[in-house]
Amino acid sequence: MSDDPSRSPAPSGKHLAAATVFIACVAGWFIMQLEVLGARVLAPFFGSAIYVVMGSVIGVFLLSMSGGYILGGWLSGSRHSQSALGLCLAAAGAWLCIMPFLIHPVCEGMWAAGLNEKWGSLVAALVLFGLPTVLLGTVSPTAVRWLTRQASESGRSAGMVLACSTVASFAGCVVTAFYLVLLSVRRTMLVSGVVLLALGGTVVLHAYLSARGRQRRAGSLEAPDAGSA
Amino acid sequence: MRRLAVVLCFAAIAGVAAAGGEVDLALGSLVYSKDSLYHRILVYQSGSVVTLRFGTHGPVLLQSQVDTNDLPRHVQEYSTLAFCGLLYQPQPARALVLGLGGGVIPRELRHYYPQLQIDVAEIDPDIPPVAERFFGFRQDQKLVVHVSDGRMFIKKQQRLNPPPKYDLIVLDAFSGDYIPFHLMTKEFLEEARGILAPGGVVVANVFYDNRLFDAEVKTFTEVFPRCQAFFGVWTANAMIVAGGPNVPVLTAQDAATRAAALQAANGFTFDMRTVAARLRPGFAPEPRARVLTDDQAPVNTLRWQEAAR
Repeated sequence: MSDDPSRSPAPSGKHLAAATVFIACVAGWFIMQLEVLGARVLAPFFGSAIYVVMGSVIGVFLLSMSGGYILGGWLSGSRHSQSALGLCLAAAGAWLCIMPFLIHPVCEGMWAAGLNEKWGSLVAALVLFGLPTVLLGTVSPTAVRWLTRQASESGRSAGMVLACSTVASFAGCVVTAFYLVLLSVRRTMLVSGVVLLALGGTVVLHAYLSARGRQRRAGSLEAPDAGSA
Repeated sequence: MRRLAVVLCFAAIAGVAAAGGEVDLALGSLVYSKDSLYHRILVYQSGSVVTLRFGTHGPVLLQSQVDTNDLPRHVQEYSTLAFCGLLYQPQPARALVLGLGGGVIPRELRHYYPQLQIDVAEIDPDIPPVAERFFGFRQDQKLVVHVSDGRMFIKKQQRLNPPPKYDLIVLDAFSGDYIPFHLMTKEFLEEARGILAPGGVVVANVFYDNRLFDAEVKTFTEVFPRCQAFFGVWTANAMIVAGGPNVPVLTAQDAATRAAALQAANGFTFDMRTVAARLRPGFAPEPRARVLTDDQAPVNTLRWQEAAR
């Protein structure tokens, strides 16, 4: 089997297309959930003044998402884009699990370094939320890539992925702001981390099994040739 | 007679508000309004009485009210209640007030305690000019307003070398509509305790007609060994007074005696003995109430739930 990068690593079939959109939605949800919880997490250390929420949190998220888009775009062209995506999701999940323990040391560290309110909140937001947001941001470009069978449909795939993931972001935003903030932030982060780890693990497993399946099919096609030599 | 007038005034406002009518009629005409970053600031004037309100769709809440012809008169009950802290710490040298509003509490403290050094932390930069223009509030060397989030101010004070120690900390930072959770948690109170002098007290203005009150009291008792509460009669305001082991626990008799001495010494325009009578000595926190933490503090939900007691 030739290594045709436009064919081999992408999932195929309608149900797998749905799975792709689903993963994009999950990423969209968790990005916004993290953003809303992020503002809440920083408030005890940097206050609730306007520049903390709008400037630091939203600013860091926008920057990190763009970093994720670049990384995702690059990874989507690789043979191993499925495993790469799975690893990104799992790594984001792992970070969310440990993040509650990082909040206090990072934020207090800002104060100890003489940075407070504005710059402290910016750097703290970057350190705490930058990495998971970059990792979750890699999903959209990869999802668009997977859904695009021909170049002419790329606009439609992009529209579909972005629309669905943004609706999921809306849901994540509203549910978090209205309901999840009433619960323990630590527990919410842990549960979210576990969900992402499980999803990422599933994607990696699926990638591995698909690759094994292809290898076996390639092997069984060659056998008759070897036999008749 | 004055008390009756205040009651009728509140009844009128409550009645009009309940009817969904225009509250402005009872408070007078709108003389100033501004949309600041944090509030819709509204100032009304009726005769010589000036009222500060924050625009909200919820129940009518007055932030500050003064009679410009008679500034020393406390028009609202809650600003007299805030003096309950002096029953525990009669000679404060340094005070911190979180939340300015019309500036009645810091102004009155300054008036009766000329040697008292007062810091005020107010997050909204548009509020101090309003207090100065409409509510007879003045800053000077002994009364300084810092534009800052209250918790941030305390954090910065903690890091000064040497850190200041306050004898009186008044927490009055909420507009009543939206409550910033990070000023209500156990960790916040621990930070406040860190800049409290031995024998100093924290006085927190709270509303007692909702579940949040139980959670606040429980959180206070987690951080401070001494906690007592004074309950308003004309409004649902209460003052939680909390301090360290050096702070006395007052019986009704103790409070009355101390109040009489303070009234004689300072000649307050309100009656300190009335304030002392608002103490509920046997008051204890609701055992099943939640302790509010930085991790979990559903303040804005609890605030709208009816009190359990």
